[in-house]
Amino acid sequence: MRAFRLSLPILFISLSLIYMIMIFQLPPALLGDPYAPRYFPMIVAAGILIFAVIDLVNVRGENVEDNQDLAVLLKKDSLKIIGVIVALCVGYALIFEWVGFLAATLLFLGALMFYLNGYQRWVLNLTVTLIFSFSSWYIFSQLLEISLP
Amino acid sequence: MSIILDGLVTALQPINLLLLVLGALLGTIVGILPGLGPATGIAVLIPLTFGMEPVSALILMTAIYIGALFGGSRSSILINTPGDGSSVAATFDGYPMTKKGQAGQAMSIAAIASLVGGIMAVFGFIFLAIPLADFALNFGPAEFVLLFLFALSIVVTLSMGNTIKGFLSMFIGLGIATIGVDLQSEVQRFTFGVPELIEGVDFIVVIIGIYAIGEVLYNLFNLNQPKATDHKIGSKWFTKEQWKRSLAPIVRSGPLGFFLGTLPGSGGTISSLFAYSAQRQLSKDPAEYGKGKVEGLVAPESANSASAVGALIPTLTMAIPGSGATAVMLGALIMIGVTPGPLLFEDSPDMIWTLINSMFIGNIILVILNIALVGVLMKVLHTPPKVLYPVILLLSFIGVYTLGYTTVDFYILLIAGVIGLLMRVMNYPVVPLILALIVGGDLEQEFQRSLVIYDNALGILFASPITIVLGILTLLSLLYPLLSVWLKNRKRKKETPSQSM
Repeated sequence: MRAFRLSLPILFISLSLIYMIMIFQLPPALLGDPYAPRYFPMIVAAGILIFAVIDLVNVRGENVEDNQDLAVLLKKDSLKIIGVIVALCVGYALIFEWVGFLAATLLFLGALMFYLNGYQRWVLNLTVTLIFSFSSWYIFSQLLEISLP
Repeated sequence: MSIILDGLVTALQPINLLLLVLGALLGTIVGILPGLGPATGIAVLIPLTFGMEPVSALILMTAIYIGALFGGSRSSILINTPGDGSSVAATFDGYPMTKKGQAGQAMSIAAIASLVGGIMAVFGFIFLAIPLADFALNFGPAEFVLLFLFALSIVVTLSMGNTIKGFLSMFIGLGIATIGVDLQSEVQRFTFGVPELIEGVDFIVVIIGIYAIGEVLYNLFNLNQPKATDHKIGSKWFTKEQWKRSLAPIVRSGPLGFFLGTLPGSGGTISSLFAYSAQRQLSKDPAEYGKGKVEGLVAPESANSASAVGALIPTLTMAIPGSGATAVMLGALIMIGVTPGPLLFEDSPDMIWTLINSMFIGNIILVILNIALVGVLMKVLHTPPKVLYPVILLLSFIGVYTLGYTTVDFYILLIAGVIGLLMRVMNYPVVPLILALIVGGDLEQEFQRSLVIYDNALGILFASPITIVLGILTLLSLLYPLLSVWLKNRKRKKETPSQSM
């Protein structure tokens, strides 16, 4: 668990270093001070690096074993459920413009409902999927005239 | 004075009252939907005003504006999903109140806080519109840099005991804010060749991701865990004790929100976060904030409502919108033939005072509507979680799509959701990240402008008496955690000998 807790400050340290490299690769400004676009990001990068290092050092003093949420998150079942939900969301993003709002929403909401509620509650799953897909399409697309694919 | 009463009479005409009720209702519905805050609410409902008399159109837009502000906080309280940035602060203690079975109390007292804040601001507008507009004109780039730094410093010190994580969270927010084109030099930064990132990351997308998606993911992995609390409905009306505790925060936060609202560009988000931070810093038990403390809910609600009125001052007197919503209103005002500017109070006083009176009456109507609707809204809590969470996910995606019409925002939403989950689980405060993301762009632009004007960063600090005061306040705010530890230790040392005796 401590290794996982350590991963976040390590990730931030890595990100700040990558961010710094990217700052130095920025093209110079054609107007005014050529390095002006770099100053603020440099302060930010230094800030992330400094506080991430302090955080990394502080993890040693933290009682990570007491963190119930972290313990539950690291369970296989939790990671599986989060993985599936995130995968379904990515799938929705991928097909949204390709198949259109209504078809994508029917598939996405249907998949979510069946995954969370199981196949035994198919009537509820189908009812919620149909009602929310069509009503959201009607409200956003027809009533609010928001352009949906 | 008679012109103010004329405005009241116009606003009280039956047709205008009807429009106020209709606008308040539509605004509330729009505000509840994730991503559709007051700005989008007014924008999408503008077609309703076509063909109307200018005054009626103005009244309808005003009602939608304040209705959307109300609606945003309803979803914050009920499902931890802020409608827009200005209702983020309502999630901090509003949602924990819901978890404690106090959803009805939270919604009704938040409505009253909004009403009181709004009414205070209306009176403030009547007496202070012109002087405050003049004072706001003194805010140049250096003043804004210091104001933003002060706001960030008090939000970071909010994360008592987690100050290091608070700073880290703030710098990450500032880092995200640097994505996109630098407006001073037009250099594209960290866009990875994605055209949708040229304009930067929309903070609303990140907010909805962190709160709505993060909350859903958190609850889903906890779904099979025994719940410490269940979502009981509880009373629909707040208690005498809650009201007693709320009165001072409401009265204090109203003027603060009104003043911050008058500063161009600050808006309801900063006002409400500022009021929350100030309230927590003034509190004797800051550690209780974020756990369902009524003071933590009413302070930002009062400030948010007051800032909506305050934001109209620069909009109407200088044609400088104080927030996203007032920017849309500015466009709508011009569309109906009103030209905002210093002469507006002389040229169209009837319009101004009708607008202000409409806000006053609109707030009252909204409280009545919202308290009447508490029962209906609370039905949301009866929805089984396995049905509610997929619907929240769906609404978040649609809300985000309406902001930029691009699926790139879907991925940002999702990444923000996972980050929100990890930050929550590992006890990183998210408020500094959100505020930094909101003010980051403006902070950098003002910082760059100040560097050009004052030659160096130290010069910014001594640019004017306002910057000196704000600089001292920022320093005090940053030193506050150290000071409070020192004071506690001193107190403990003093008590120890007396106890031993």
